[in-house]
Amino acid sequence: MSDNTKSTNTDHSHVQHVEPYTPQFGTMIPSGAQKFMRTCVLWQIVRFLAINVKMMTLIIKSHH
Amino acid sequence: MLKFFLDKLINLINEHKEFNMARLVILGAGVAGHTAASFAAKWLGKEHEVVVVTPNAKWNWIPSNIWVGVGEMTKEEVTFDLAPVYAKTKIIYKQAKAVSINPEGSDKLDKSFVTVEFTGQGKEGESEEVEYDYLINATGPKLNFGATPGLGEGTTMGEHTVSVCTADHAVHASHELEACIEKMKAGERQKFLIGTGHGMCTCQGAAFEYIFNIEHKLQERGVRDMADMIWISNESFLGDFGMGGLHFKMGGFITSSKVFAESLYAERGMDWIIGAHVNKVEKGMVTYESLDGSINTQDFDFAMLIPPFAGVGMKAFGKDGSDITDTVFAPNGMMKVDADYSGKPYAEWKPSDWPKTLQSPVYKNIFAAGIAFAPPHPISKPMKSANGTPITPTPPRTGMPSAMMGKAVISSIVDMMTGKTTEPTHTSSMAEMGAACVASSGKGLLSGTAAAMTVFPIVPDFEKYPGTGRDINGTTGEIGLAAHWVKHLLHHAFIWKAKLKPGWTLIPE
Repeated sequence: MSDNTKSTNTDHSHVQHVEPYTPQFGTMIPSGAQKFMRTCVLWQIVRFLAINVKMMTLIIKSHH
Repeated sequence: MLKFFLDKLINLINEHKEFNMARLVILGAGVAGHTAASFAAKWLGKEHEVVVVTPNAKWNWIPSNIWVGVGEMTKEEVTFDLAPVYAKTKIIYKQAKAVSINPEGSDKLDKSFVTVEFTGQGKEGESEEVEYDYLINATGPKLNFGATPGLGEGTTMGEHTVSVCTADHAVHASHELEACIEKMKAGERQKFLIGTGHGMCTCQGAAFEYIFNIEHKLQERGVRDMADMIWISNESFLGDFGMGGLHFKMGGFITSSKVFAESLYAERGMDWIIGAHVNKVEKGMVTYESLDGSINTQDFDFAMLIPPFAGVGMKAFGKDGSDITDTVFAPNGMMKVDADYSGKPYAEWKPSDWPKTLQSPVYKNIFAAGIAFAPPHPISKPMKSANGTPITPTPPRTGMPSAMMGKAVISSIVDMMTGKTTEPTHTSSMAEMGAACVASSGKGLLSGTAAAMTVFPIVPDFEKYPGTGRDINGTTGEIGLAAHWVKHLLHHAFIWKAKLKPGWTLIPE
């Protein structure tokens, strides 16, 4: 798959090539925007707080 | 004269204290055992004795072994000596392994006791009978490498594969990985096989995190294009995780963990083999049976295969010396507790099958916590190959669930020891608790991305949560740098907590 990962279409250059009719072809592939948000520090600070809140809620609900 | 009466009074008080003093023995100092011991020492004070029996000299934050396994951390960063921590809290520490339990005593001893065999403290090989009033079995698992020919012998890892189950294993794995990287730099293509080494393994999450860390490491070192990466697992679908999968909100849909996990593998150009029971490991090759009954092989240059877990193999004896191991333990060596072990079929499984108090149904002063308790059945749907070989992930109960169980059990025992009650007061059912899993890919604060997942409850409850069986607001999954930061936070917070440093009780488990 690695040989075919670069698209020649510049509009879709952020989209990873997946070989048709392989198991990988049947799933979702992150878009460029999605990948950007994963490493966008400002957004990730928000997500860090959100994950901590989720985990604390989970812990509180789990103790009996 | 006054001094004489004062001394008498002090003696009387001390005798009264000794008369009422009870002894709690905790077998194991992993997440469950250490959590229980820490709270026992805090809550029971000097009024009662707390004894910890563990064959290990060091405590290990196992989740960070993944980083040790790719050379991002040292063994010293994920372990610390137990003796000084227990010394400062007045916990009696015996570096020994438990061999057997006599819940009714013996013909020589009226009281319940555990027979232990020392592995350190200058008493290696010596045996001792440790009496108890209350017992917590938190031994964790036996790493059963011997279950798969070639994977290892007994609890000893073999020479063909590596492991990240212990800090020492992870150090060895990092050296092997480095050797592969050097070969790739020299132009030699390498094949990486990561996953489970038997059809009945649990802990897929650890292997899942390890393969992503290796992939990230290879990217970082500029040799990713020289590597073929393959996941092999006993899960019937990617993202089963031993919990029958999970669902969470993503992109306007309630998405399956199957799609989530497949996406992660596809994005990184990794292949996967699922529904596989690895039944033989040789140099550079595994043989595995698939769910369709076919027997296949897969070659590799580097393989990290998680071994199956079993109980540590303790025996139990009655007062007359008769073997009552079957009464106290399940056939896999895990301890029977207040679960439904009737062996009913999958269609009849209920959340109420899972233990609540973790108390032995036969001996009310014995509890089990963490991996040491016997689950009533898997969470994933049991699968068999066309040849009848069971290929089913066993339930995960490491990490957060273990800590919660440890705290619930010690809360009940403290109430019982202090005379508040005669029955357990706290519960910790996996059908009523959640879990969080953070799988990193690398260790960088600004590079790499991790997957953070939460699930509630661990055992799906389709009556309470129609549809997916889980609380859709409490079951989540996302990928990003933030999860990396959470992993770093958990590493430092839990080592701080385990060392019982100031404010440790404020860090929730």
